[in-house]
Amino acid sequence: MMIPFKTRRSHLSRQVLLRNFVITIICLMIATLLSTLFFLLSHNTANIAIIYVLAVVIIAQNTAGYGCGIVASLFSVAFINFVFTYPYMELNFILDGYPVTFLGMTIISSLSSTLTTHLKEEIQLSNEREHMLMEAEKEKMRANLLRAISHDLRTPLTSIIGTSTSYLEQGEHMDESQKTHLVKTIAEDAQWLLNMVENLLSVTRINNQTASVNTTLEPLEEVVSAALRRFYKRTPGAKVQARIPDELIMLPMDATLIEQVLINLLENAVYHSGSQTPTSLSVDTDNGFAHFHVRDYGSGISPDRLDTLFDGYPSTPNHSSDSHKGMGIGLSICKTIINAHHGQISAKNHPDGAEFIFSLPLGENTYGS
Amino acid sequence: MDHKITAVIIEDEKNILGFIETVLSDGSYKTFTAATGTDGLSLITSRCPDIILLDLGLPDMDGLEIIKKVRQFTQTPVIVISARTQEAEKVAALDLGADDYLTKPFGTSELMARIRTALRHSQNSKEAACVYSRGGLVIDFGKRRTTLDGQEVHLTQIEYKLVSLLARQAGKVLTYDYLMRQIWGPYNDSNNQILRVNMAHIRRKLEKNPAEPEYIFTEIGVGYRMRDE
Repeated sequence: MMIPFKTRRSHLSRQVLLRNFVITIICLMIATLLSTLFFLLSHNTANIAIIYVLAVVIIAQNTAGYGCGIVASLFSVAFINFVFTYPYMELNFILDGYPVTFLGMTIISSLSSTLTTHLKEEIQLSNEREHMLMEAEKEKMRANLLRAISHDLRTPLTSIIGTSTSYLEQGEHMDESQKTHLVKTIAEDAQWLLNMVENLLSVTRINNQTASVNTTLEPLEEVVSAALRRFYKRTPGAKVQARIPDELIMLPMDATLIEQVLINLLENAVYHSGSQTPTSLSVDTDNGFAHFHVRDYGSGISPDRLDTLFDGYPSTPNHSSDSHKGMGIGLSICKTIINAHHGQISAKNHPDGAEFIFSLPLGENTYGS
Repeated sequence: MDHKITAVIIEDEKNILGFIETVLSDGSYKTFTAATGTDGLSLITSRCPDIILLDLGLPDMDGLEIIKKVRQFTQTPVIVISARTQEAEKVAALDLGADDYLTKPFGTSELMARIRTALRHSQNSKEAACVYSRGGLVIDFGKRRTTLDGQEVHLTQIEYKLVSLLARQAGKVLTYDYLMRQIWGPYNDSNNQILRVNMAHIRRKLEKNPAEPEYIFTEIGVGYRMRDE
Protein backbone atom coordinates (compact mmCIF):
# COMPACT_ATOMS: atom_id res chain seq x y z
CA MET A 1 0.00 0.00 0.00
CA MET A 2 2.84 2.35 0.79
CA ILE A 3 5.51 1.23 -1.63
CA PRO A 4 4.09 2.73 -4.82
CA PHE A 5 3.91 6.09 -3.13
CA LYS A 6 6.54 8.41 -4.50
CA THR A 7 7.90 11.12 -2.26
CA ARG A 8 8.45 14.58 -3.64
CA ARG A 9 12.10 14.28 -2.78
CA SER A 10 13.03 11.92 -5.49
CA HIS A 11 16.62 11.86 -4.28
CA LEU A 12 15.70 9.84 -1.21
CA SER A 13 17.82 6.76 -1.37
CA ARG A 14 16.50 3.20 -1.20
CA GLN A 15 17.90 2.85 2.25
CA VAL A 16 16.01 5.88 3.54
CA LEU A 17 12.82 4.67 1.85
CA LEU A 18 13.16 1.29 3.47
CA ARG A 19 13.77 2.91 6.84
CA ASN A 20 10.68 5.11 6.40
CA PHE A 21 8.65 2.10 5.49
CA VAL A 22 9.78 0.07 8.48
CA ILE A 23 9.17 2.92 10.93
CA THR A 24 5.69 3.55 9.53
CA ILE A 25 4.69 -0.11 9.72
CA ILE A 26 5.99 -0.52 13.27
CA CYS A 27 4.25 2.62 14.54
CA LEU A 28 0.96 1.67 12.93
CA MET A 29 1.23 -1.85 14.31
CA ILE A 30 1.81 -0.59 17.83
CA ALA A 31 -1.09 1.86 17.46
CA THR A 32 -3.36 -0.92 16.21
CA LEU A 33 -2.34 -3.18 19.07
CA LEU A 34 -3.08 -0.47 21.66
CA SER A 35 -6.36 0.41 19.96
CA THR A 36 -7.46 -3.19 19.96
CA LEU A 37 -6.79 -3.37 23.69
CA PHE A 38 -8.73 -0.16 24.28
CA PHE A 39 -11.54 -1.29 22.03
CA LEU A 40 -11.91 -4.60 23.81
CA LEU A 41 -11.84 -2.93 27.21
CA SER A 42 -13.96 0.19 26.66
CA HIS A 43 -15.45 0.40 23.17
CA ASN A 44 -14.40 4.06 23.13
CA THR A 45 -13.50 5.10 19.56
CA ALA A 46 -12.46 8.66 20.49
CA ASN A 47 -9.38 7.37 22.33
CA ILE A 48 -8.55 5.13 19.41
CA ALA A 49 -8.53 8.10 17.05
CA ILE A 50 -6.16 9.92 19.40
CA ILE A 51 -3.80 6.93 19.52
CA TYR A 52 -3.63 6.92 15.73
CA VAL A 53 -3.02 10.68 15.59
CA LEU A 54 -0.14 10.18 18.01
CA ALA A 55 1.23 7.39 15.83
CA VAL A 56 1.01 9.64 12.75
CA VAL A 57 2.87 12.47 14.52
CA ILE A 58 5.62 10.08 15.60
CA ILE A 59 5.89 8.73 12.06
CA ALA A 60 6.11 12.24 10.60
CA GLN A 61 8.82 13.12 13.08
CA ASN A 62 10.97 10.10 12.40
CA THR A 63 10.75 9.73 8.63
CA ALA A 64 12.11 11.86 5.84
CA GLY A 65 9.67 13.81 3.67
CA TYR A 66 5.90 14.37 3.98
CA GLY A 67 4.88 11.15 2.33
CA CYS A 68 4.85 8.66 5.15
CA GLY A 69 2.92 10.91 7.55
CA ILE A 70 0.16 11.65 5.04
CA VAL A 71 -0.13 8.08 3.86
CA ALA A 72 -0.21 6.86 7.45
CA SER A 73 -2.96 9.33 8.35
CA LEU A 74 -5.13 8.33 5.38
CA PHE A 75 -4.54 4.71 6.18
CA SER A 76 -5.44 5.24 9.85
CA VAL A 77 -8.72 6.95 9.02
CA ALA A 78 -9.72 4.17 6.65
CA PHE A 79 -8.52 1.47 9.03
CA ILE A 80 -10.43 2.85 12.04
CA ASN A 81 -13.55 3.07 9.92
CA PHE A 82 -13.00 -0.45 8.71
CA VAL A 83 -12.18 -2.14 11.99
CA PHE A 84 -13.27 -0.12 14.99
CA THR A 85 -16.59 1.50 13.97
CA TYR A 86 -19.92 -0.10 13.43
CA PRO A 87 -20.48 -1.86 11.03
CA TYR A 88 -17.24 -3.71 11.82
CA MET A 89 -15.07 -4.99 9.00
CA GLU A 90 -16.80 -2.71 6.52
CA LEU A 91 -16.03 0.72 5.12
CA ASN A 92 -18.87 3.13 5.87
CA PHE A 93 -18.24 6.88 5.73
CA ILE A 94 -21.80 8.12 6.03
CA LEU A 95 -22.47 6.88 9.53
CA ASP A 96 -24.13 9.51 11.73
CA GLY A 97 -21.55 11.98 13.11
CA TYR A 98 -18.61 9.91 11.96
CA PRO A 99 -17.87 11.77 8.73
CA VAL A 100 -16.95 14.87 10.79
CA THR A 101 -14.72 12.83 13.08
CA PHE A 102 -12.95 11.22 10.15
CA LEU A 103 -12.60 14.44 8.24
CA GLY A 104 -11.24 16.14 11.36
CA MET A 105 -8.82 13.33 11.98
CA THR A 106 -7.60 13.31 8.41
CA ILE A 107 -6.95 17.03 8.50
CA ILE A 108 -5.33 17.00 11.96
CA SER A 109 -3.01 14.13 11.19
CA SER A 110 -2.08 15.46 7.74
CA LEU A 111 -1.47 18.93 9.20
CA SER A 112 0.65 17.69 12.07
CA SER A 113 2.62 15.48 9.74
CA THR A 114 3.38 18.40 7.40
CA LEU A 115 4.14 20.63 10.40
CA THR A 116 6.69 18.29 11.94
CA THR A 117 8.29 17.77 8.55
CA HIS A 118 8.52 21.53 8.10
CA LEU A 119 10.01 21.90 11.53
CA LYS A 120 12.62 19.29 10.72
CA GLU A 121 13.55 21.07 7.53
CA GLU A 122 13.72 24.40 9.36
CA ILE A 123 16.11 22.95 11.92
CA GLN A 124 18.29 21.47 9.25
CA LEU A 125 18.33 24.75 7.35
CA SER A 126 19.27 26.77 10.41
CA ASN A 127 22.03 24.28 11.20
CA GLU A 128 23.40 24.72 7.72
CA ARG A 129 23.16 28.48 8.01
CA GLU A 130 25.04 28.42 11.31
CA HIS A 131 27.73 26.28 9.78
CA MET A 132 28.08 28.69 6.86
CA LEU A 133 28.29 31.62 9.25
CA MET A 134 31.04 29.89 11.20
CA GLU A 135 32.93 29.19 8.01
CA ALA A 136 32.61 32.82 6.97
CA GLU A 137 33.85 33.93 10.38
CA LYS A 138 36.85 31.61 10.10
CA GLU A 139 37.54 32.92 6.62
CA LYS A 140 37.42 36.47 7.90
CA MET A 141 39.83 35.66 10.72
CA ARG A 142 42.20 34.02 8.29
CA ALA A 143 42.08 37.04 5.99
CA ASN A 144 42.72 39.39 8.90
CA LEU A 145 45.63 37.29 10.08
CA LEU A 146 47.14 37.22 6.61
CA ARG A 147 46.77 40.97 6.31
CA ALA A 148 48.41 41.48 9.68
CA ILE A 149 51.22 39.09 8.79
CA SER A 150 52.03 40.67 5.47
CA HIS A 151 52.06 44.10 7.06
CA ASP A 152 54.30 42.92 9.85
CA LEU A 153 56.63 41.09 7.50
CA ARG A 154 56.92 43.95 5.07
CA THR A 155 58.05 46.50 7.63
CA PRO A 156 61.27 44.78 8.77
CA LEU A 157 61.95 43.49 5.25
CA THR A 158 61.76 47.00 3.85
CA SER A 159 64.20 48.13 6.47
CA ILE A 160 66.59 45.22 5.82
CA ILE A 161 66.56 45.75 2.06
CA GLY A 162 66.93 49.51 2.38
CA THR A 163 69.72 49.36 4.91
CA SER A 164 71.73 46.66 3.17
CA THR A 165 71.38 48.42 -0.19
CA SER A 166 72.61 51.70 1.21
CA TYR A 167 75.52 49.85 2.85
CA LEU A 168 76.46 48.19 -0.46
CA GLU A 169 76.09 51.35 -2.53
CA GLN A 170 77.52 53.98 -0.22
CA GLY A 171 79.64 51.85 2.09
CA GLU A 172 82.93 53.41 1.02
CA HIS A 173 81.82 56.90 2.06
CA MET A 174 80.84 55.82 5.56
CA ASP A 175 82.90 55.65 8.71
CA GLU A 176 83.06 52.58 10.94
CA SER A 177 80.39 53.70 13.41
CA GLN A 178 77.90 54.40 10.65
CA LYS A 179 78.54 50.97 9.15
CA THR A 180 78.14 49.30 12.52
CA HIS A 181 74.91 51.16 13.01
CA LEU A 182 73.54 49.93 9.68
CA VAL A 183 74.51 46.32 10.29
CA LYS A 184 73.02 46.52 13.76
CA THR A 185 69.72 47.65 12.25
CA ILE A 186 69.77 44.70 9.87
CA ALA A 187 70.48 42.30 12.72
CA GLU A 188 67.63 43.73 14.81
CA ASP A 189 65.14 43.45 11.99
CA ALA A 190 66.21 39.91 11.18
CA GLN A 191 65.70 39.04 14.84
CA TRP A 192 62.25 40.56 14.66
CA LEU A 193 61.43 38.49 11.58
CA LEU A 194 62.60 35.37 13.39
CA ASN A 195 60.25 36.12 16.29
CA MET A 196 57.41 36.46 13.86
CA VAL A 197 58.17 33.19 12.12
CA GLU A 198 58.33 31.41 15.47
CA ASN A 199 54.97 32.86 16.39
CA LEU A 200 53.46 31.66 13.15
CA LEU A 201 55.00 28.23 13.58
CA SER A 202 53.50 27.97 17.02
CA VAL A 203 50.02 28.45 15.57
CA THR A 204 50.44 25.30 13.52
CA ARG A 205 50.54 23.33 16.77
CA ILE A 206 46.92 24.22 17.40
CA ASN A 207 44.44 21.79 15.92
CA ASN A 208 42.61 23.54 13.11
CA GLN A 209 39.30 21.75 13.47
CA THR A 210 38.81 21.80 17.19
CA ALA A 211 41.03 24.77 18.07
CA SER A 212 42.55 22.69 20.85
CA VAL A 213 46.05 21.67 21.84
CA ASN A 214 47.74 18.54 23.17
CA THR A 215 48.31 19.23 26.83
CA THR A 216 50.51 17.46 29.32
CA LEU A 217 51.00 18.30 32.97
CA GLU A 218 54.01 20.60 33.16
CA PRO A 219 55.59 22.18 36.22
CA LEU A 220 54.90 25.90 36.13
CA GLU A 221 58.45 26.80 37.15
CA GLU A 222 59.99 24.95 34.20
CA VAL A 223 57.94 26.85 31.66
CA VAL A 224 58.60 30.18 33.32
CA SER A 225 62.33 29.56 33.62
CA ALA A 226 62.66 28.29 30.05
CA ALA A 227 60.77 31.31 28.73
CA LEU A 228 62.94 33.67 30.76
CA ARG A 229 66.14 32.05 29.54
CA ARG A 230 65.15 32.31 25.90
CA PHE A 231 63.98 35.86 26.44
CA TYR A 232 67.28 36.93 28.03
CA LYS A 233 69.24 35.31 25.25
CA ARG A 234 67.31 37.28 22.65
CA THR A 235 67.04 40.55 24.47
CA PRO A 236 70.38 41.08 26.14
CA GLY A 237 70.27 43.65 28.90
CA ALA A 238 66.55 43.26 29.57
CA LYS A 239 65.60 42.89 33.21
CA VAL A 240 62.71 40.87 34.58
CA GLN A 241 61.70 40.25 38.17
CA ALA A 242 60.10 36.84 38.34
CA ARG A 243 58.05 35.66 41.28
CA ILE A 244 56.22 32.34 41.36
CA PRO A 245 54.55 30.42 44.20
CA ASP A 246 56.80 28.23 46.34
CA GLU A 247 54.73 25.09 46.02
CA LEU A 248 54.99 22.88 42.96
CA ILE A 249 52.18 23.67 40.54
CA MET A 250 51.49 21.40 37.59
CA LEU A 251 49.44 22.86 34.76
CA PRO A 252 48.00 20.99 31.79
CA MET A 253 49.41 22.80 28.75
CA ASP A 254 51.40 22.70 25.58
CA ALA A 255 54.56 24.08 27.16
CA THR A 256 56.08 25.32 23.90
CA LEU A 257 53.03 27.45 23.24
CA ILE A 258 52.83 28.92 26.74
CA GLU A 259 56.55 29.66 26.56
CA GLN A 260 55.82 31.56 23.36
CA VAL A 261 53.05 33.55 25.05
CA LEU A 262 55.34 34.50 27.92
CA ILE A 263 58.11 35.57 25.55
CA ASN A 264 55.67 37.63 23.46
CA LEU A 265 54.33 39.42 26.52
CA LEU A 266 57.79 40.06 27.97
CA GLU A 267 59.08 41.37 24.65
CA ASN A 268 56.03 43.54 24.31
CA ALA A 269 56.65 44.98 27.75
CA VAL A 270 60.29 45.74 27.00
CA TYR A 271 59.76 47.26 23.55
CA HIS A 272 56.66 49.28 24.27
CA SER A 273 56.94 50.48 27.82
CA GLY A 274 59.90 52.77 27.10
CA SER A 275 61.09 52.37 30.66
CA GLN A 276 64.19 51.11 32.41
CA THR A 277 62.38 49.71 35.44
CA PRO A 278 62.49 45.90 35.33
CA THR A 279 59.37 44.20 34.02
CA SER A 280 57.69 42.04 36.62
CA LEU A 281 56.43 38.54 35.95
CA SER A 282 54.41 36.94 38.70
CA VAL A 283 52.10 33.98 39.04
CA ASP A 284 49.42 33.26 41.62
CA THR A 285 46.62 30.76 41.89
CA ASP A 286 43.00 30.88 43.01
CA ASN A 287 39.66 29.27 42.16
CA GLY A 288 41.22 26.53 40.07
CA PHE A 289 43.17 28.93 37.85
CA ALA A 290 46.77 30.03 37.65
CA HIS A 291 47.08 33.72 36.83
CA PHE A 292 50.16 35.02 35.08
CA HIS A 293 50.84 38.76 35.38
CA VAL A 294 53.29 40.61 33.17
CA ARG A 295 53.60 44.18 34.42
CA ASP A 296 55.68 46.92 32.92
CA TYR A 297 56.35 50.34 34.39
CA GLY A 298 56.15 52.52 31.31
CA SER A 299 53.74 54.64 29.38
CA GLY A 300 50.79 52.25 29.47
CA ILE A 301 48.38 51.43 26.66
CA SER A 302 46.30 54.17 25.09
CA PRO A 303 42.66 53.59 26.07
CA ASP A 304 41.34 53.48 22.49
CA ARG A 305 43.58 50.52 21.73
CA LEU A 306 42.67 48.43 24.75
CA ASP A 307 39.60 46.94 23.06
CA THR A 308 41.27 45.81 19.87
CA LEU A 309 44.66 44.95 21.32
CA PHE A 310 44.30 41.22 20.74
CA ASP A 311 42.66 41.40 17.32
CA GLY A 312 45.87 41.23 15.36
CA TYR A 313 45.57 44.49 13.50
CA PRO A 314 45.61 48.14 14.46
CA SER A 315 42.25 49.66 15.37
CA THR A 316 42.58 52.45 12.85
CA PRO A 317 44.53 52.23 9.61
CA ASN A 318 46.54 55.34 10.52
CA HIS A 319 48.02 53.54 13.48
CA SER A 320 49.48 50.80 11.38
CA SER A 321 52.58 52.61 10.22
CA ASP A 322 53.24 54.44 13.44
CA SER A 323 56.08 52.39 14.73
CA HIS A 324 58.52 50.03 13.23
CA LYS A 325 57.66 47.32 15.70
CA GLY A 326 53.91 47.32 16.01
CA MET A 327 52.31 45.02 18.54
CA GLY A 328 51.70 43.03 15.41
CA ILE A 329 50.31 39.56 15.42
CA GLY A 330 52.13 38.58 18.61
CA LEU A 331 49.21 39.44 20.87
CA SER A 332 46.57 37.90 18.65
CA ILE A 333 48.59 34.71 18.65
CA CYS A 334 48.78 34.87 22.44
CA LYS A 335 45.01 35.07 22.51
CA THR A 336 44.62 32.16 20.12
CA ILE A 337 46.96 30.05 22.25
CA ILE A 338 45.30 30.94 25.55
CA ASN A 339 41.82 30.31 24.12
CA ALA A 340 42.95 26.90 22.90
CA HIS A 341 43.94 26.16 26.52
CA HIS A 342 40.47 27.24 27.74
CA GLY A 343 42.05 30.18 29.49
CA GLN A 344 41.64 33.94 29.37
CA ILE A 345 43.88 36.83 28.48
CA SER A 346 43.36 40.52 29.10
CA ALA A 347 45.22 43.79 29.30
CA LYS A 348 44.76 46.82 31.50
CA ASN A 349 46.56 49.89 32.72
CA HIS A 350 47.72 50.29 36.28
CA PRO A 351 48.95 53.61 37.76
CA ASP A 352 52.56 53.06 36.62
CA GLY A 353 52.17 51.29 33.29
CA ALA A 354 50.49 48.37 31.58
CA GLU A 355 49.65 44.89 32.79
CA PHE A 356 48.84 41.77 30.81
CA ILE A 357 47.14 38.93 32.62
CA PHE A 358 46.42 35.46 31.41
CA SER A 359 44.84 32.59 33.30
CA LEU A 360 45.09 28.88 32.74
CA PRO A 361 42.92 26.25 34.40
CA LEU A 362 44.77 24.12 36.95
CA GLY A 363 44.97 20.38 36.33
CA GLU A 364 43.03 17.94 38.44
CA ASN A 365 46.01 16.52 40.23
CA THR A 366 48.24 19.28 41.46
CA TYR A 367 51.03 17.89 43.56
CA GLY A 368 51.84 19.51 46.86
CA SER A 369 55.54 19.79 47.44
CA MET B 1 99.95 25.97 16.17
CA ASP B 2 100.82 22.42 15.30
CA HIS B 3 97.62 20.65 16.31
CA LYS B 4 94.35 22.04 15.00
CA ILE B 5 90.96 20.66 15.91
CA THR B 6 89.37 19.07 12.85
CA ALA B 7 85.70 19.57 12.20
CA VAL B 8 83.54 17.98 9.52
CA ILE B 9 80.56 20.08 8.49
CA ILE B 10 77.74 18.40 6.58
CA GLU B 11 75.27 20.94 5.28
CA ASP B 12 73.63 21.38 1.89
CA GLU B 13 72.79 25.07 2.24
CA LYS B 14 75.78 26.88 0.70
CA ASN B 15 75.32 30.17 2.55
CA ILE B 16 75.18 28.51 5.92
CA LEU B 17 78.07 26.21 5.13
CA GLY B 18 80.14 29.23 4.14
CA PHE B 19 79.20 31.10 7.29
CA ILE B 20 80.09 28.25 9.62
CA GLU B 21 83.35 27.65 7.77
CA THR B 22 84.32 31.31 8.06
CA VAL B 23 83.58 31.37 11.77
CA LEU B 24 85.55 28.20 12.45
CA SER B 25 88.58 28.97 10.33
CA ASP B 26 89.17 32.15 12.35
CA GLY B 27 89.86 30.05 15.40
CA SER B 28 91.97 26.99 15.89
CA TYR B 29 89.90 24.74 13.66
CA LYS B 30 90.58 22.91 10.44
CA THR B 31 87.36 22.31 8.52
CA PHE B 32 86.21 19.78 5.94
CA THR B 33 82.85 20.29 4.31
CA ALA B 34 80.35 18.09 2.51
CA ALA B 35 77.01 18.95 0.94
CA THR B 36 75.58 15.43 0.89
CA GLY B 37 75.28 12.63 3.41
CA THR B 38 77.37 10.18 1.40
CA ASP B 39 80.26 12.63 1.02
CA GLY B 40 79.93 13.50 4.69
CA LEU B 41 80.16 9.88 5.82
CA SER B 42 83.25 9.24 3.71
CA LEU B 43 84.85 12.42 5.10
CA ILE B 44 84.17 11.23 8.62
CA THR B 45 85.74 7.84 7.99
CA SER B 46 88.77 9.25 6.18
CA ARG B 47 89.52 12.32 8.32
CA CYS B 48 88.58 11.04 11.78
CA PRO B 49 87.41 14.52 12.91
CA ASP B 50 87.28 15.76 16.50
CA ILE B 51 83.77 17.07 16.02
CA ILE B 52 80.94 16.73 13.50
CA LEU B 53 78.39 19.42 12.65
CA LEU B 54 75.42 17.88 10.92
CA ASP B 55 72.37 19.28 9.17
CA LEU B 56 69.40 16.94 9.30
CA GLY B 57 67.80 17.89 6.00
CA LEU B 58 70.20 16.59 3.37
CA PRO B 59 69.40 15.92 -0.29
CA ASP B 60 70.40 12.25 -0.35
CA MET B 61 69.59 10.91 3.12
CA ASP B 62 68.11 11.83 6.47
CA GLY B 63 70.63 13.20 8.95
CA LEU B 64 69.30 10.78 11.57
CA GLU B 65 70.66 7.93 9.40
CA ILE B 66 74.10 9.50 9.55
CA ILE B 67 74.01 9.74 13.34
CA LYS B 68 73.10 6.06 13.51
CA LYS B 69 75.93 5.06 11.17
CA VAL B 70 78.52 7.28 12.87
CA ARG B 71 77.63 5.93 16.30
CA GLN B 72 78.36 2.41 15.09
CA PHE B 73 82.07 3.11 14.88
CA THR B 74 82.92 6.26 16.84
CA GLN B 75 81.94 8.40 19.84
CA THR B 76 83.06 11.62 18.12
CA PRO B 77 80.75 14.38 19.32
CA VAL B 78 77.96 15.23 16.87
CA ILE B 79 76.17 18.57 17.00
CA VAL B 80 72.97 18.61 15.02
CA ILE B 81 72.09 21.82 13.21
CA SER B 82 68.60 21.90 11.85
CA ALA B 83 65.63 24.02 10.96
CA ARG B 84 63.30 21.40 12.37
CA THR B 85 61.86 22.82 15.54
CA GLN B 86 59.54 20.05 16.71
CA GLU B 87 60.63 18.60 20.04
CA ALA B 88 60.08 15.08 18.78
CA GLU B 89 62.81 15.57 16.18
CA LYS B 90 65.28 16.96 18.68
CA VAL B 91 64.55 14.06 20.98
CA ALA B 92 65.02 11.54 18.17
CA ALA B 93 68.41 13.00 17.23
CA LEU B 94 69.58 13.14 20.85
CA ASP B 95 68.37 9.65 21.61
CA LEU B 96 70.19 8.29 18.58
CA GLY B 97 73.43 9.60 20.01
CA ALA B 98 73.79 13.23 18.98
CA ASP B 99 75.52 15.30 21.65
CA ASP B 100 73.75 18.57 21.14
CA TYR B 101 71.14 20.30 19.06
CA LEU B 102 71.15 23.79 17.55
CA THR B 103 68.04 25.15 15.90
CA LYS B 104 68.43 27.43 12.90
CA PRO B 105 68.88 30.32 13.04
CA PHE B 106 71.64 30.58 15.63
CA GLY B 107 74.36 33.06 16.52
CA THR B 108 78.09 32.48 16.06
CA SER B 109 78.90 32.81 19.74
CA GLU B 110 76.34 30.17 20.62
CA LEU B 111 77.69 27.81 17.97
CA MET B 112 81.25 28.22 19.26
CA ALA B 113 80.17 27.68 22.86
CA ARG B 114 78.31 24.49 21.96
CA ILE B 115 81.33 23.19 20.06
CA ARG B 116 83.66 23.90 22.99
CA THR B 117 81.24 22.14 25.36
CA ALA B 118 80.98 19.09 23.15
CA LEU B 119 84.76 18.89 22.83
CA ARG B 120 85.20 19.19 26.57
CA HIS B 121 82.82 16.27 27.04
CA SER B 122 84.75 14.00 24.79
CA GLN B 123 87.82 14.92 26.86
CA ASN B 124 86.00 14.51 30.17
CA SER B 125 84.61 11.12 29.37
CA LYS B 126 88.18 9.91 28.89
CA GLU B 127 89.40 11.44 32.14
CA ALA B 128 86.21 10.93 34.21
CA ALA B 129 86.18 13.98 36.43
CA CYS B 130 85.40 13.20 40.04
CA VAL B 131 84.13 16.59 41.15
CA TYR B 132 81.59 18.91 39.56
CA SER B 133 82.04 22.49 40.66
CA ARG B 134 80.21 25.42 39.10
CA GLY B 135 79.28 28.59 40.93
CA GLY B 136 78.47 27.66 44.51
CA LEU B 137 77.50 24.09 43.71
CA VAL B 138 80.01 21.32 44.35
CA ILE B 139 79.25 17.66 43.77
CA ASP B 140 81.88 15.16 44.92
CA PHE B 141 81.09 11.96 43.03
CA GLY B 142 83.55 9.93 45.12
CA LYS B 143 82.06 10.89 48.48
CA ARG B 144 78.54 11.29 47.04
CA ARG B 145 78.40 14.65 48.73
CA THR B 146 76.63 17.75 47.45
CA THR B 147 77.29 21.19 48.86
CA LEU B 148 75.80 24.56 47.94
CA ASP B 149 77.78 27.65 49.00
CA GLY B 150 79.61 25.45 51.51
CA GLN B 151 76.38 24.13 53.06
CA GLU B 152 75.66 20.44 52.72
CA VAL B 153 72.54 19.67 50.66
CA HIS B 154 70.51 16.64 51.64
CA LEU B 155 69.34 14.81 48.54
CA THR B 156 67.41 11.56 48.51
CA GLN B 157 68.89 8.54 46.75
CA ILE B 158 67.00 9.21 43.53
CA GLU B 159 67.60 12.94 43.64
CA TYR B 160 71.35 12.38 43.98
CA LYS B 161 71.32 9.90 41.10
CA LEU B 162 69.57 12.44 38.91
CA VAL B 163 71.83 15.34 39.85
CA SER B 164 75.03 13.34 39.40
CA LEU B 165 73.83 12.00 36.06
CA LEU B 166 73.20 15.52 34.83
CA ALA B 167 76.42 16.86 36.35
CA ARG B 168 78.63 14.20 34.81
CA GLN B 169 77.40 15.29 31.41
CA ALA B 170 77.04 18.97 32.24
CA GLY B 171 76.11 21.12 29.28
CA LYS B 172 74.54 18.25 27.44
CA VAL B 173 70.79 17.92 27.11
CA LEU B 174 69.61 14.66 28.67
CA THR B 175 66.20 13.66 27.36
CA TYR B 176 63.31 12.70 29.63
CA ASP B 177 63.44 9.25 28.16
CA TYR B 178 67.14 8.77 28.83
CA LEU B 179 66.80 9.95 32.43
CA MET B 180 63.78 7.71 33.04
CA ARG B 181 65.65 4.69 31.72
CA GLN B 182 68.80 5.45 33.72
CA ILE B 183 67.03 5.97 37.05
CA TRP B 184 63.86 3.87 36.91
CA GLY B 185 64.98 1.17 34.51
CA PRO B 186 63.86 0.24 31.02
CA TYR B 187 60.43 -1.04 32.03
CA ASN B 188 58.94 2.17 33.43
CA ASP B 189 55.82 3.49 31.73
CA SER B 190 56.11 6.39 29.34
CA ASN B 191 54.67 8.86 31.82
CA ASN B 192 57.47 11.09 33.06
CA GLN B 193 55.53 12.85 35.85
CA ILE B 194 57.66 11.14 38.51
CA LEU B 195 60.79 12.61 36.92
CA ARG B 196 59.26 16.08 36.73
CA VAL B 197 58.24 15.96 40.38
CA ASN B 198 61.69 14.80 41.48
CA MET B 199 63.29 17.57 39.46
CA ALA B 200 60.99 20.07 41.14
CA HIS B 201 62.17 18.82 44.56
CA ILE B 202 65.81 19.06 43.50
CA ARG B 203 65.21 22.58 42.23
CA ARG B 204 63.85 23.60 45.60
CA LYS B 205 67.01 22.30 47.27
CA LEU B 206 69.55 23.77 44.82
CA GLU B 207 68.04 26.92 43.35
CA LYS B 208 67.38 30.22 45.12
CA ASN B 209 64.58 31.13 42.70
CA PRO B 210 63.08 28.19 40.78
CA ALA B 211 61.82 30.66 38.15
CA GLU B 212 65.41 31.69 37.37
CA PRO B 213 67.53 28.60 38.01
CA GLU B 214 71.31 28.85 38.10
CA TYR B 215 72.26 25.19 37.77
CA ILE B 216 69.64 23.01 36.11
CA PHE B 217 67.88 24.30 33.01
CA THR B 218 64.76 22.97 31.32
CA GLU B 219 64.66 22.36 27.60
CA ILE B 220 60.91 22.50 27.01
CA GLY B 221 59.58 19.23 25.67
CA VAL B 222 63.04 17.66 25.47
CA GLY B 223 64.76 17.29 28.81
CA TYR B 224 67.22 18.92 31.22
CA ARG B 225 70.67 20.44 30.94
CA MET B 226 73.09 21.15 33.75
CA ARG B 227 75.09 24.36 33.81
CA ASP B 228 78.54 24.07 32.33
CA GLU B 229 80.59 27.24 32.49
